[in-house]
Amino acid sequence: MSATALTTGGELAAAEAGDWSRVRSGRRVADRALKLGCIGVTAIGVFALGWILLMLLFQGIAALRPSIFTEVTPGPGSAGGGLANAIVGSLVLTFFGILVATPIGVLAGTYLAEYARTSKLASIVRFINDILLSAPSILIGLFVYTLFVAPFGGYSGWAGSIALAIIAIPVIVRTTEDMLRLVPNTLREAAAALGAPPSVVIRLVTWRAARVGIVTGVILATARIAGETAPLLFTALNNNFWFKPNLTGGVSNLPVTIYQFALSPYGNWQELAWAGALLITATILGLSIAARLIIKRDANR
Amino acid sequence: MMAVQPTSVSAALPDAPRAAPGDERVRIAIRNLDFFYGDFRGLKSINMDFRDRKVTALIGPSGCGKSTLLRTFNRIYSLYPEQRATGQILLDGRNIIGNDVDVNELRSRVGMVFQKTTPFPMSIYDNVAFGMRLYEKLSRADTDERVESALRKAALWDEVKDKLKNPGTGLSGGQQQRLCIARTVAQQPEVILFDEPTSALDPISTGKIEELIDQLRSEFTIAIVTHNMQQAARISQYTAFMYLGELIEFGPTNQIFMNPGKKQTHDYVTGRFG
Repeated sequence: MSATALTTGGELAAAEAGDWSRVRSGRRVADRALKLGCIGVTAIGVFALGWILLMLLFQGIAALRPSIFTEVTPGPGSAGGGLANAIVGSLVLTFFGILVATPIGVLAGTYLAEYARTSKLASIVRFINDILLSAPSILIGLFVYTLFVAPFGGYSGWAGSIALAIIAIPVIVRTTEDMLRLVPNTLREAAAALGAPPSVVIRLVTWRAARVGIVTGVILATARIAGETAPLLFTALNNNFWFKPNLTGGVSNLPVTIYQFALSPYGNWQELAWAGALLITATILGLSIAARLIIKRDANR
Repeated sequence: MMAVQPTSVSAALPDAPRAAPGDERVRIAIRNLDFFYGDFRGLKSINMDFRDRKVTALIGPSGCGKSTLLRTFNRIYSLYPEQRATGQILLDGRNIIGNDVDVNELRSRVGMVFQKTTPFPMSIYDNVAFGMRLYEKLSRADTDERVESALRKAALWDEVKDKLKNPGTGLSGGQQQRLCIARTVAQQPEVILFDEPTSALDPISTGKIEELIDQLRSEFTIAIVTHNMQQAARISQYTAFMYLGELIEFGPTNQIFMNPGKKQTHDYVTGRFG
Protein backbone atom coordinates (compact mmCIF):
# COMPACT_ATOMS: atom_id res chain seq x y z
CA MET A 1 0.00 0.00 0.00
CA SER A 2 2.63 2.48 1.09
CA ALA A 3 4.93 1.28 -1.69
CA THR A 4 2.25 1.98 -4.29
CA ALA A 5 1.71 5.41 -2.84
CA LEU A 6 5.40 6.12 -2.99
CA THR A 7 5.65 5.02 -6.58
CA THR A 8 2.66 7.13 -7.52
CA GLY A 9 4.19 10.08 -5.72
CA GLY A 10 7.47 9.58 -7.53
CA GLU A 11 5.76 9.40 -10.89
CA LEU A 12 3.79 12.54 -10.15
CA ALA A 13 6.93 14.43 -9.18
CA ALA A 14 8.66 13.27 -12.34
CA ALA A 15 5.71 14.31 -14.48
CA GLU A 16 5.66 17.73 -12.85
CA ALA A 17 9.39 18.18 -13.27
CA GLY A 18 9.17 17.26 -16.94
CA ASP A 19 6.20 19.55 -17.50
CA TRP A 20 7.88 22.90 -16.85
CA SER A 21 7.50 23.69 -20.50
CA ARG A 22 3.71 23.57 -20.08
CA VAL A 23 3.77 27.23 -19.09
CA ARG A 24 4.38 28.78 -22.45
CA SER A 25 7.19 31.32 -22.49
CA GLY A 26 4.87 33.77 -24.22
CA ARG A 27 2.62 33.74 -21.20
CA ARG A 28 5.49 34.42 -18.88
CA VAL A 29 6.57 37.37 -21.03
CA ALA A 30 3.03 38.77 -21.04
CA ASP A 31 2.89 38.37 -17.26
CA ARG A 32 6.12 40.25 -16.80
CA ALA A 33 5.17 42.93 -19.34
CA LEU A 34 1.93 43.72 -17.49
CA LYS A 35 3.78 43.95 -14.19
CA LEU A 36 6.42 46.27 -15.65
CA GLY A 37 3.74 48.31 -17.37
CA CYS A 38 1.90 48.85 -14.07
CA ILE A 39 5.09 49.77 -12.25
CA GLY A 40 6.15 52.10 -15.06
CA VAL A 41 2.87 54.02 -15.16
CA THR A 42 2.82 54.32 -11.38
CA ALA A 43 6.37 55.66 -11.50
CA ILE A 44 5.37 58.29 -14.06
CA GLY A 45 2.50 59.42 -11.81
CA VAL A 46 4.65 59.52 -8.69
CA PHE A 47 7.42 61.31 -10.59
CA ALA A 48 5.10 64.02 -11.90
CA LEU A 49 3.50 64.58 -8.49
CA GLY A 50 6.83 64.42 -6.74
CA TRP A 51 8.29 66.94 -9.15
CA ILE A 52 5.46 69.38 -8.49
CA LEU A 53 5.84 68.94 -4.75
CA LEU A 54 9.62 69.27 -4.83
CA MET A 55 9.48 72.40 -6.99
CA LEU A 56 6.86 73.80 -4.67
CA LEU A 57 8.96 72.95 -1.64
CA PHE A 58 12.20 74.48 -3.03
CA GLN A 59 10.67 77.60 -4.55
CA GLY A 60 8.16 78.07 -1.74
CA ILE A 61 10.68 77.76 1.08
CA ALA A 62 13.06 80.07 -0.77
CA ALA A 63 10.28 82.66 -0.96
CA LEU A 64 9.11 82.29 2.65
CA ARG A 65 10.07 85.17 4.92
CA PRO A 66 8.44 86.79 7.94
CA SER A 67 7.16 89.74 5.89
CA ILE A 68 4.79 87.36 4.09
CA PHE A 69 2.70 87.19 7.25
CA THR A 70 2.89 90.90 8.07
CA GLU A 71 2.77 92.88 4.84
CA VAL A 72 -0.06 93.19 2.35
CA THR A 73 0.24 92.12 -1.27
CA PRO A 74 2.28 94.64 -3.25
CA GLY A 75 0.91 96.65 -6.14
CA PRO A 76 2.19 96.14 -9.68
CA GLY A 77 5.83 97.10 -9.96
CA SER A 78 6.35 97.89 -6.26
CA ALA A 79 8.98 95.88 -4.46
CA GLY A 80 8.68 93.51 -1.47
CA GLY A 81 5.29 92.96 0.10
CA GLY A 82 3.66 89.93 1.69
CA LEU A 83 0.48 87.89 1.71
CA ALA A 84 -1.04 88.91 5.05
CA ASN A 85 -4.30 90.24 3.60
CA ALA A 86 -4.69 87.22 1.30
CA ILE A 87 -4.02 84.74 4.12
CA VAL A 88 -6.53 86.34 6.47
CA GLY A 89 -8.99 86.81 3.60
CA SER A 90 -8.78 83.12 2.72
CA LEU A 91 -9.28 82.14 6.36
CA VAL A 92 -12.36 84.36 6.61
CA LEU A 93 -13.88 83.12 3.34
CA THR A 94 -13.24 79.49 4.21
CA PHE A 95 -14.57 79.94 7.74
CA PHE A 96 -17.85 81.47 6.63
CA GLY A 97 -18.14 79.00 3.77
CA ILE A 98 -17.84 76.02 6.08
CA LEU A 99 -20.05 77.74 8.67
CA VAL A 100 -22.85 77.90 6.12
CA ALA A 101 -22.16 74.47 4.60
CA THR A 102 -21.90 72.39 7.78
CA PRO A 103 -25.48 72.66 9.11
CA ILE A 104 -26.98 72.35 5.63
CA GLY A 105 -24.78 69.42 4.69
CA VAL A 106 -25.19 67.55 7.97
CA LEU A 107 -28.96 68.01 8.09
CA ALA A 108 -29.41 67.03 4.45
CA GLY A 109 -27.21 63.97 4.97
CA THR A 110 -29.26 63.10 8.05
CA TYR A 111 -32.48 63.43 6.05
CA LEU A 112 -31.13 61.02 3.43
CA ALA A 113 -29.81 58.47 5.90
CA GLU A 114 -32.41 58.59 8.67
CA TYR A 115 -35.74 59.80 7.36
CA ALA A 116 -35.92 59.06 3.66
CA ARG A 117 -33.67 56.07 3.20
CA THR A 118 -35.73 54.35 0.53
CA SER A 119 -37.96 57.15 -0.74
CA LYS A 120 -38.03 58.29 -4.34
CA LEU A 121 -37.25 61.87 -3.36
CA ALA A 122 -34.12 60.71 -1.51
CA SER A 123 -32.75 58.91 -4.55
CA ILE A 124 -33.33 62.03 -6.65
CA VAL A 125 -31.60 64.24 -4.06
CA ARG A 126 -28.74 61.75 -3.86
CA PHE A 127 -28.35 61.77 -7.65
CA ILE A 128 -28.34 65.58 -7.85
CA ASN A 129 -25.91 65.75 -4.96
CA ASP A 130 -23.53 63.45 -6.82
CA ILE A 131 -23.74 65.72 -9.86
CA LEU A 132 -23.05 68.76 -7.70
CA LEU A 133 -20.12 66.91 -6.17
CA SER A 134 -18.38 66.77 -9.54
CA ALA A 135 -19.70 70.03 -11.02
CA PRO A 136 -17.01 72.33 -12.46
CA SER A 137 -16.35 74.90 -9.76
CA ILE A 138 -16.24 77.75 -12.30
CA LEU A 139 -19.93 77.09 -12.97
CA ILE A 140 -20.68 77.49 -9.29
CA GLY A 141 -18.75 80.76 -9.33
CA LEU A 142 -20.84 82.01 -12.26
CA PHE A 143 -24.05 80.85 -10.58
CA VAL A 144 -23.28 82.83 -7.44
CA TYR A 145 -22.18 85.79 -9.57
CA THR A 146 -25.60 85.87 -11.24
CA LEU A 147 -27.41 85.47 -7.95
CA PHE A 148 -25.42 87.54 -5.45
CA VAL A 149 -22.88 89.70 -7.28
CA ALA A 150 -24.69 91.15 -10.29
CA PRO A 151 -27.93 92.09 -8.44
CA PHE A 152 -26.05 93.71 -5.55
CA GLY A 153 -23.75 95.61 -7.84
CA GLY A 154 -20.41 94.45 -6.51
CA TYR A 155 -18.06 91.67 -5.52
CA SER A 156 -18.05 90.67 -1.89
CA GLY A 157 -16.64 88.18 0.55
CA TRP A 158 -20.17 87.00 1.29
CA ALA A 159 -20.66 85.91 -2.31
CA GLY A 160 -17.28 84.16 -2.13
CA SER A 161 -18.23 82.31 1.04
CA ILE A 162 -21.55 81.25 -0.48
CA ALA A 163 -19.76 79.90 -3.57
CA LEU A 164 -17.35 77.95 -1.35
CA ALA A 165 -20.28 76.69 0.74
CA ILE A 166 -21.99 75.36 -2.39
CA ILE A 167 -18.85 73.38 -3.16
CA ALA A 168 -18.53 72.08 0.39
CA ILE A 169 -22.19 71.10 0.88
CA PRO A 170 -22.28 68.03 -1.40
CA VAL A 171 -19.07 66.74 0.19
CA ILE A 172 -20.57 67.04 3.67
CA VAL A 173 -23.93 65.59 2.60
CA ARG A 174 -22.23 62.58 1.14
CA THR A 175 -19.91 61.84 4.05
CA THR A 176 -22.66 62.46 6.61
CA GLU A 177 -25.00 60.04 4.87
CA ASP A 178 -22.29 57.42 4.44
CA MET A 179 -21.22 57.66 8.07
CA LEU A 180 -24.80 57.48 9.38
CA ARG A 181 -25.43 54.43 7.22
CA LEU A 182 -22.52 52.72 8.93
CA VAL A 183 -24.34 53.00 12.27
CA PRO A 184 -25.97 49.59 12.81
CA ASN A 185 -29.75 49.55 12.70
CA THR A 186 -29.81 47.57 15.92
CA LEU A 187 -28.58 50.70 17.71
CA ARG A 188 -31.54 52.71 16.37
CA GLU A 189 -33.92 49.91 17.30
CA ALA A 190 -32.47 49.74 20.80
CA ALA A 191 -32.96 53.47 21.34
CA ALA A 192 -36.46 53.38 19.83
CA ALA A 193 -37.27 50.37 22.04
CA LEU A 194 -36.66 52.57 25.09
CA GLY A 195 -39.34 54.91 23.83
CA ALA A 196 -37.09 57.49 22.23
CA PRO A 197 -38.75 59.43 19.37
CA PRO A 198 -36.74 59.71 16.11
CA SER A 199 -35.38 63.17 16.97
CA VAL A 200 -33.86 61.86 20.21
CA VAL A 201 -32.52 58.72 18.55
CA ILE A 202 -30.77 60.87 15.93
CA ARG A 203 -29.42 63.50 18.30
CA LEU A 204 -28.28 61.30 21.16
CA VAL A 205 -27.44 58.02 19.46
CA THR A 206 -26.80 57.98 15.71
CA TRP A 207 -25.12 61.38 15.44
CA ARG A 208 -22.94 60.48 18.38
CA ALA A 209 -22.05 57.11 16.94
CA ALA A 210 -21.13 58.73 13.62
CA ARG A 211 -19.69 61.97 14.95
CA VAL A 212 -16.05 61.18 14.17
CA GLY A 213 -16.90 60.42 10.56
CA ILE A 214 -19.04 63.53 10.24
CA VAL A 215 -16.36 65.80 11.71
CA THR A 216 -13.82 64.22 9.39
CA GLY A 217 -16.09 64.95 6.45
CA VAL A 218 -16.30 68.60 7.48
CA ILE A 219 -12.50 68.80 7.77
CA LEU A 220 -12.05 67.26 4.33
CA ALA A 221 -14.61 69.69 2.90
CA THR A 222 -12.60 72.52 4.48
CA ALA A 223 -9.48 71.20 2.80
CA ARG A 224 -11.36 71.02 -0.47
CA ILE A 225 -12.55 74.64 -0.45
CA ALA A 226 -9.36 76.09 1.01
CA GLY A 227 -7.67 75.80 -2.37
CA GLU A 228 -10.58 76.60 -4.68
CA THR A 229 -9.83 79.42 -7.14
CA ALA A 230 -12.50 79.42 -9.81
CA PRO A 231 -15.56 80.09 -7.61
CA LEU A 232 -13.77 83.10 -6.08
CA LEU A 233 -12.86 84.69 -9.42
CA PHE A 234 -16.43 85.81 -9.98
CA THR A 235 -17.43 86.41 -6.37
CA ALA A 236 -14.84 87.57 -3.86
CA LEU A 237 -12.51 88.66 -6.64
CA ASN A 238 -9.16 89.77 -5.23
CA ASN A 239 -7.19 92.94 -4.57
CA ASN A 240 -4.05 94.20 -2.90
CA PHE A 241 -5.63 95.75 0.18
CA TRP A 242 -7.04 94.74 3.48
CA PHE A 243 -10.71 93.90 3.00
CA LYS A 244 -13.45 95.98 4.57
CA PRO A 245 -14.89 94.64 7.82
CA ASN A 246 -18.27 94.15 6.14
CA LEU A 247 -16.58 92.08 3.41
CA THR A 248 -18.03 94.11 0.53
CA GLY A 249 -16.08 95.22 -2.50
CA GLY A 250 -13.85 92.20 -2.97
CA VAL A 251 -11.78 90.24 -0.51
CA SER A 252 -8.18 89.31 -1.17
CA ASN A 253 -7.50 85.58 -0.92
CA LEU A 254 -4.67 83.17 -1.52
CA PRO A 255 -5.88 81.08 -4.49
CA VAL A 256 -6.75 84.03 -6.73
CA THR A 257 -3.60 85.88 -5.60
CA ILE A 258 -1.54 82.87 -6.65
CA TYR A 259 -3.37 82.73 -9.95
CA GLN A 260 -2.74 86.43 -10.70
CA PHE A 261 0.78 86.66 -9.31
CA ALA A 262 2.03 83.48 -10.97
CA LEU A 263 1.01 84.76 -14.39
CA SER A 264 2.51 88.21 -13.81
CA PRO A 265 5.85 89.43 -15.21
CA TYR A 266 7.07 90.71 -11.79
CA GLY A 267 9.67 88.63 -9.97
CA ASN A 268 8.44 89.46 -6.44
CA TRP A 269 4.86 88.56 -7.40
CA GLN A 270 6.01 85.18 -8.73
CA GLU A 271 7.93 84.53 -5.52
CA LEU A 272 4.88 85.39 -3.43
CA ALA A 273 2.81 83.03 -5.59
CA TRP A 274 5.23 80.19 -4.73
CA ALA A 275 5.07 81.01 -1.05
CA GLY A 276 1.26 81.16 -1.15
CA ALA A 277 1.05 77.84 -3.00
CA LEU A 278 3.26 76.23 -0.38
CA LEU A 279 1.11 77.63 2.42
CA ILE A 280 -2.12 76.31 0.90
CA THR A 281 -0.61 72.90 0.16
CA ALA A 282 0.74 72.63 3.70
CA THR A 283 -2.66 73.64 5.12
CA ILE A 284 -4.52 71.04 3.06
CA LEU A 285 -1.95 68.40 3.96
CA GLY A 286 -2.33 69.34 7.62
CA LEU A 287 -6.13 69.08 7.45
CA SER A 288 -5.95 65.69 5.70
CA ILE A 289 -3.52 64.36 8.29
CA ALA A 290 -5.74 65.67 11.08
CA ALA A 291 -8.74 63.88 9.53
CA ARG A 292 -6.77 60.63 9.29
CA LEU A 293 -5.55 60.89 12.86
CA ILE A 294 -9.07 61.46 14.14
CA ILE A 295 -10.35 58.40 12.29
CA LYS A 296 -7.42 56.30 13.46
CA ARG A 297 -7.88 57.31 17.08
CA ASP A 298 -11.55 56.38 16.85
CA ALA A 299 -10.77 53.00 15.28
CA ASN A 300 -8.37 52.23 18.12
CA ARG A 301 -10.91 53.04 20.79
CA MET B 1 -40.79 50.01 43.31
CA MET B 2 -40.63 46.45 44.51
CA ALA B 3 -37.51 45.15 46.15
CA VAL B 4 -35.72 42.30 44.44
CA GLN B 5 -36.46 39.05 46.13
CA PRO B 6 -33.27 37.10 46.51
CA THR B 7 -34.63 33.96 44.91
CA SER B 8 -32.39 30.97 44.69
CA VAL B 9 -31.94 29.88 41.12
CA SER B 10 -32.16 26.32 40.00
CA ALA B 11 -30.93 26.64 36.48
CA ALA B 12 -30.80 22.95 35.80
CA LEU B 13 -34.47 22.03 35.99
CA PRO B 14 -37.48 23.74 34.49
CA ASP B 15 -39.58 25.43 37.12
CA ALA B 16 -43.07 24.09 37.22
CA PRO B 17 -45.74 26.79 37.08
CA ARG B 18 -46.50 27.67 40.67
CA ALA B 19 -50.21 27.99 40.23
CA ALA B 20 -52.72 26.53 37.91
CA PRO B 21 -52.87 28.56 34.68
CA GLY B 22 -56.33 29.86 35.51
CA ASP B 23 -55.08 31.61 38.66
CA GLU B 24 -52.57 33.80 36.86
CA ARG B 25 -53.42 37.18 35.50
CA VAL B 26 -53.09 37.57 31.73
CA ARG B 27 -50.83 40.48 30.92
CA ILE B 28 -50.71 40.31 27.14
CA ALA B 29 -53.53 38.70 25.18
CA ILE B 30 -53.04 38.13 21.46
CA ARG B 31 -56.09 37.71 19.29
CA ASN B 32 -56.11 36.85 15.57
CA LEU B 33 -52.76 38.50 15.01
CA ASP B 34 -51.50 38.57 11.43
CA PHE B 35 -48.25 40.12 10.35
CA PHE B 36 -47.07 41.17 6.92
CA TYR B 37 -43.66 41.94 5.48
CA GLY B 38 -44.93 43.67 2.35
CA ASP B 39 -47.04 40.90 0.81
CA PHE B 40 -45.50 38.06 2.77
CA ARG B 41 -47.61 36.86 5.68
CA GLY B 42 -45.16 36.26 8.50
CA LEU B 43 -47.68 35.45 11.24
CA LYS B 44 -50.96 33.63 10.72
CA SER B 45 -53.84 34.18 13.12
CA ILE B 46 -51.91 33.92 16.35
CA ASN B 47 -53.92 33.57 19.56
CA MET B 48 -52.13 33.24 22.89
CA ASP B 49 -51.85 34.71 26.38
CA PHE B 50 -48.76 35.86 28.23
CA ARG B 51 -49.12 35.62 31.99
CA ASP B 52 -48.01 38.15 34.54
CA ARG B 53 -44.62 37.57 36.16
CA LYS B 54 -43.88 34.48 34.18
CA VAL B 55 -41.24 33.75 31.61
CA THR B 56 -42.75 32.66 28.31
CA ALA B 57 -40.34 31.20 25.78
CA LEU B 58 -40.93 31.27 22.04
CA ILE B 59 -39.19 28.44 20.24
CA GLY B 60 -39.15 27.10 16.71
CA PRO B 61 -36.88 26.78 13.70
CA SER B 62 -35.39 29.84 11.97
CA GLY B 63 -37.95 31.86 10.08
CA CYS B 64 -40.89 30.48 12.06
CA GLY B 65 -41.99 33.95 13.15
CA LYS B 66 -40.97 33.91 16.80
CA SER B 67 -38.90 37.10 16.58
CA THR B 68 -41.59 38.67 14.41
CA LEU B 69 -44.15 37.94 17.12
CA LEU B 70 -41.91 39.39 19.83
CA ARG B 71 -41.37 42.53 17.76
CA THR B 72 -45.09 43.24 17.65
CA PHE B 73 -45.36 43.65 21.44
CA ASN B 74 -43.54 46.99 21.41
CA ARG B 75 -44.38 47.75 17.77
CA ILE B 76 -40.70 48.11 16.99
CA TYR B 77 -41.57 46.81 13.53
CA SER B 78 -43.26 50.15 12.80
CA LEU B 79 -39.79 51.65 12.20
CA TYR B 80 -40.04 49.89 8.84
CA PRO B 81 -42.86 51.22 6.66
CA GLU B 82 -43.36 47.98 4.72
CA GLN B 83 -44.18 45.99 7.86
CA ARG B 84 -47.64 45.92 9.39
CA ALA B 85 -49.75 43.93 11.82
CA THR B 86 -53.49 43.34 11.98
CA GLY B 87 -55.56 41.86 14.78
CA GLN B 88 -55.34 42.60 18.47
CA ILE B 89 -52.59 42.67 21.06
CA LEU B 90 -54.18 43.54 24.37
CA LEU B 91 -51.76 44.85 26.98
CA ASP B 92 -53.73 44.92 30.22
CA GLY B 93 -56.88 44.93 28.10
CA ARG B 94 -55.88 47.77 25.77
CA ASN B 95 -55.28 47.08 22.10
CA ILE B 96 -51.78 48.36 21.33
CA ILE B 97 -52.11 47.79 17.57
CA GLY B 98 -54.59 50.68 17.40
CA ASN B 99 -53.60 54.05 15.98
CA ASP B 100 -54.50 55.87 19.18
CA VAL B 101 -51.57 54.29 21.01
CA ASP B 102 -48.42 56.40 21.37
CA VAL B 103 -45.67 53.96 20.41
CA ASN B 104 -43.07 55.76 22.49
CA GLU B 105 -45.18 55.50 25.61
CA LEU B 106 -45.88 51.87 24.77
CA ARG B 107 -42.14 51.21 24.49
CA SER B 108 -41.49 52.81 27.84
CA ARG B 109 -43.83 50.16 29.28
CA VAL B 110 -42.60 47.26 27.16
CA GLY B 111 -38.80 47.08 27.16
CA MET B 112 -36.67 45.03 24.80
CA VAL B 113 -33.22 43.44 24.88
CA PHE B 114 -31.70 42.42 21.56
CA GLN B 115 -29.49 39.63 20.29
CA LYS B 116 -26.74 42.03 19.32
CA THR B 117 -25.52 44.01 22.30
CA THR B 118 -26.28 47.67 21.74
CA PRO B 119 -24.47 49.96 24.16
CA PHE B 120 -25.00 53.57 23.13
CA PRO B 121 -21.91 55.67 22.41
CA MET B 122 -21.93 57.28 25.85
CA SER B 123 -20.86 56.51 29.41
CA ILE B 124 -22.12 53.50 31.34
CA TYR B 125 -24.08 55.84 33.60
CA ASP B 126 -25.70 57.69 30.69
CA ASN B 127 -26.54 54.40 29.01
CA VAL B 128 -28.54 53.27 32.03
CA ALA B 129 -30.12 56.68 32.56
CA PHE B 130 -31.04 57.06 28.86
CA GLY B 131 -34.52 55.56 28.97
CA MET B 132 -35.71 57.00 32.27
CA ARG B 133 -34.55 60.50 31.37
CA LEU B 134 -36.85 60.45 28.35
CA TYR B 135 -40.10 60.44 30.29
CA GLU B 136 -39.30 61.43 33.84
CA LYS B 137 -37.88 64.57 35.38
CA LEU B 138 -35.58 63.19 38.03
CA SER B 139 -33.25 64.92 40.42
CA ARG B 140 -29.58 64.07 40.31
CA ALA B 141 -29.86 61.99 43.48
CA ASP B 142 -32.90 60.08 42.26
CA THR B 143 -31.17 59.37 38.95
CA ASP B 144 -28.09 58.09 40.78
CA GLU B 145 -30.25 55.86 42.90
CA ARG B 146 -32.20 54.44 39.97
CA VAL B 147 -29.02 53.82 37.97
CA GLU B 148 -27.46 51.97 40.88
CA SER B 149 -30.55 49.92 41.55
CA ALA B 150 -30.88 48.99 37.86
CA LEU B 151 -27.22 47.98 37.66
CA ARG B 152 -27.63 45.90 40.79
CA LYS B 153 -30.67 44.15 39.36
CA ALA B 154 -28.68 43.44 36.21
CA ALA B 155 -25.87 41.97 38.36
CA LEU B 156 -23.43 44.47 36.91
CA TRP B 157 -23.01 47.00 39.73
CA ASP B 158 -19.96 45.44 41.38
CA GLU B 159 -18.13 45.28 38.07
CA VAL B 160 -18.76 48.86 36.96
CA LYS B 161 -19.37 50.92 40.10
CA ASP B 162 -15.90 52.48 39.91
CA LYS B 163 -16.06 53.30 36.19
CA LEU B 164 -19.53 54.66 35.59
CA LYS B 165 -18.04 57.47 33.51
CA ASN B 166 -16.27 55.08 31.13
CA PRO B 167 -17.82 54.40 27.74
CA GLY B 168 -20.31 51.53 27.65
CA THR B 169 -18.69 50.23 24.49
CA GLY B 170 -15.56 49.34 26.48
CA LEU B 171 -17.28 46.52 28.38
CA SER B 172 -17.05 42.84 27.43
CA GLY B 173 -19.86 41.24 25.43
CA GLY B 174 -21.54 39.69 28.46
CA GLN B 175 -21.23 42.92 30.43
CA GLN B 176 -22.64 44.91 27.51
CA GLN B 177 -25.69 42.66 27.44
CA ARG B 178 -26.22 43.13 31.18
CA LEU B 179 -25.81 46.87 30.61
CA CYS B 180 -28.61 46.69 28.04
CA ILE B 181 -30.74 44.80 30.55
CA ALA B 182 -29.99 47.42 33.22
CA ARG B 183 -30.96 50.15 30.78
CA THR B 184 -34.28 48.44 30.15
CA VAL B 185 -34.92 47.71 33.83
CA ALA B 186 -34.09 51.30 34.83
CA GLN B 187 -37.08 52.50 32.87
CA GLN B 188 -39.34 50.40 35.11
CA PRO B 189 -41.31 48.73 32.35
CA GLU B 190 -44.02 46.15 32.95
CA VAL B 191 -42.96 43.73 30.28
CA ILE B 192 -39.46 42.85 29.06
CA LEU B 193 -38.87 41.20 25.71
CA PHE B 194 -35.67 39.25 25.11
CA ASP B 195 -34.76 38.50 21.49
CA GLU B 196 -32.14 35.73 21.64
CA PRO B 197 -30.24 37.62 24.35
CA THR B 198 -27.49 35.04 24.79
CA SER B 199 -26.86 33.70 21.29
CA ALA B 200 -23.78 35.92 20.89
CA LEU B 201 -22.39 35.20 24.37
CA ASP B 202 -20.05 32.65 25.92
CA PRO B 203 -21.45 29.97 28.28
CA ILE B 204 -20.49 31.81 31.50
CA SER B 205 -22.13 35.06 30.39
CA THR B 206 -25.11 33.05 29.20
CA GLY B 207 -25.44 31.47 32.64
CA LYS B 208 -25.40 34.91 34.28
CA ILE B 209 -28.05 36.27 31.94
CA GLU B 210 -30.26 33.23 32.52
CA GLU B 211 -29.97 33.64 36.28
CA LEU B 212 -30.83 37.27 35.85
CA ILE B 213 -33.94 36.57 33.80
CA ASP B 214 -35.08 34.14 36.46
CA GLN B 215 -34.74 36.89 39.09
CA LEU B 216 -36.40 39.55 36.98
CA ARG B 217 -39.47 37.34 36.74
CA SER B 218 -40.47 38.44 40.24
CA GLU B 219 -41.12 41.93 38.91
CA PHE B 220 -41.73 41.75 35.19
CA THR B 221 -43.66 39.79 32.62
CA ILE B 222 -41.03 38.28 30.38
CA ALA B 223 -41.12 36.94 26.85
CA ILE B 224 -37.98 35.41 25.39
CA VAL B 225 -37.13 34.16 21.92
CA THR B 226 -34.47 31.51 21.94
CA HIS B 227 -32.89 29.02 19.57
CA ASN B 228 -31.61 27.05 22.50
CA MET B 229 -34.20 24.54 23.68
CA GLN B 230 -32.32 23.72 26.87
CA GLN B 231 -32.41 27.40 27.68
CA ALA B 232 -36.16 27.54 27.12
CA ALA B 233 -36.55 24.51 29.37
CA ARG B 234 -34.31 26.03 32.06
CA ILE B 235 -35.76 29.48 32.39
CA SER B 236 -39.36 29.52 31.19
CA GLN B 237 -42.63 28.55 32.80
CA TYR B 238 -44.54 28.60 29.53
CA THR B 239 -43.36 27.67 26.08
CA ALA B 240 -44.84 28.33 22.68
CA PHE B 241 -43.70 26.30 19.69
CA MET B 242 -44.06 28.05 16.36
CA TYR B 243 -43.60 26.83 12.82
CA LEU B 244 -43.99 28.67 9.51
CA GLY B 245 -45.74 31.64 11.06
CA GLU B 246 -48.23 29.59 13.04
CA LEU B 247 -48.49 28.83 16.71
CA ILE B 248 -48.39 25.03 16.81
CA GLU B 249 -48.56 24.43 20.53
CA PHE B 250 -48.52 26.51 23.68
CA GLY B 251 -48.55 25.39 27.29
CA PRO B 252 -46.57 25.00 30.50
CA THR B 253 -42.92 24.39 29.69
CA ASN B 254 -42.66 20.94 31.26
CA GLN B 255 -45.70 19.81 29.32
CA ILE B 256 -44.28 21.06 26.00
CA PHE B 257 -40.96 19.34 26.65
CA MET B 258 -42.07 16.17 28.45
CA ASN B 259 -45.45 15.47 26.98
CA PRO B 260 -46.19 17.55 23.89
CA GLY B 261 -49.61 17.22 22.38
CA LYS B 262 -48.59 17.51 18.74
CA LYS B 263 -46.21 15.41 16.71
CA GLN B 264 -44.47 18.47 15.22
CA THR B 265 -43.70 19.78 18.70
CA HIS B 266 -42.44 16.40 19.79
CA ASP B 267 -40.19 16.12 16.75
CA TYR B 268 -38.77 19.58 17.32
CA VAL B 269 -38.10 19.36 21.04
CA THR B 270 -36.51 15.94 20.63
CA GLY B 271 -34.25 17.35 17.94
CA ARG B 272 -35.69 15.41 15.03
CA PHE B 273 -35.98 18.55 12.92
CA GLY B 274 -35.25 22.21 13.21
